[in-house]
Amino acid sequence: MPRQIPWWIGGIALSLLFYFSFSSFGANRPIGVSTGMAYLSTILFGLDAEHYIYTAEIEKSGAWEGVMLFGAFFGGLFVSLFITKSFRISYIPTLWKIRKNSSIKSRMTWSFIAGFLLVFGARLAGGCNAGHILSGGSQLAISGIIFAFVALGTGVVTGRFFYKKKGASCDR
Amino acid sequence: MIDRIVNMFDIVAKQGHGSVATVLLIGFFFGAIIAYSRLDKFEKMAGFMIFEDTLVPRMAMTTVALSSVGFYFLVQTGYASFAVKPIMLTGLIVGAFIFGIGLVILGKCPSAFFVSVSEGRVDTFVGVLGGMVGGGVFTLLYPNLKDWMGSSRGSPQVFDFFVDYNLAVVLIFATILLVTAYFLPSLEFRDEADFKEK
Repeated sequence: MPRQIPWWIGGIALSLLFYFSFSSFGANRPIGVSTGMAYLSTILFGLDAEHYIYTAEIEKSGAWEGVMLFGAFFGGLFVSLFITKSFRISYIPTLWKIRKNSSIKSRMTWSFIAGFLLVFGARLAGGCNAGHILSGGSQLAISGIIFAFVALGTGVVTGRFFYKKKGASCDR
Repeated sequence: MIDRIVNMFDIVAKQGHGSVATVLLIGFFFGAIIAYSRLDKFEKMAGFMIFEDTLVPRMAMTTVALSSVGFYFLVQTGYASFAVKPIMLTGLIVGAFIFGIGLVILGKCPSAFFVSVSEGRVDTFVGVLGGMVGGGVFTLLYPNLKDWMGSSRGSPQVFDFFVDYNLAVVLIFATILLVTAYFLPSLEFRDEADFKEK
């Protein structure tokens, strides 16, 4: 069995899943993720809906996405164990070693900061890649198009300054 | 915490957006497709923004192109309704800016968080912890941030500007995305670590 599907099969498969979720045959709502992340954080830190207005506001959508994320974890685990066979404990991505450094401490510190920025930024914006770009873009939502241009543009500019240039010497 | 987790499943069971089993199944296939296409890898997501790999834009454009046409017909035939996010301009732009910085550094979108963790990536697990703190801090600050994020400017779609030509708009939109995806250069960062025989 191939260890990876090509981009066009991935795109077709994801759109079929989107049809199912979006239609009344499935969940009658588009797929989103970052509200679920925020909702899970309210569970982790005990920020309940009775005392925190944001928890109350996102409770329905956040719970749906939180449960979906449980499923996503097991979907990823199944594929990495039995199909791609890529499950292994790893600390630093290969490309990070090439374009940044080989320090576990550096990667972990930046991962924590970046994870914070991702969820905090997504909540400020009201969505992430899934909710704004994929589900929003599929509905030709202006909010999704604005988000895509700003987020991806910022990512490209940040990447230009944050990482070493392609082909530059590295400290491996 | 256990009570809240049980309550989360209970909320899903009662809200009319699919049974718990349906939502778990949607999540399972969502995670499986992300993992099987390798979209969860740093090399794919960060790699796209530092010009090492073009899988993410090609796959995302294909998904949005096909979904836009499908969504349009599902809505037209009454099998779905649009659920468009509102524009709260300051929050949207500042949030997208912050998100973009995090995205290129972590190299995972929130969709890929748990998928990547399920593959044994400790750095992503640390990213998830950072995300949990980010979500918690946002929840605490929300009463102060709410007004600053801006009032809702509605939930406009491109359709609203071409009321009589909705089908043409969606077909042109999808065609542009599909053609762009097809003609984007095939850059692929091959991570040999994934192809070692065990």
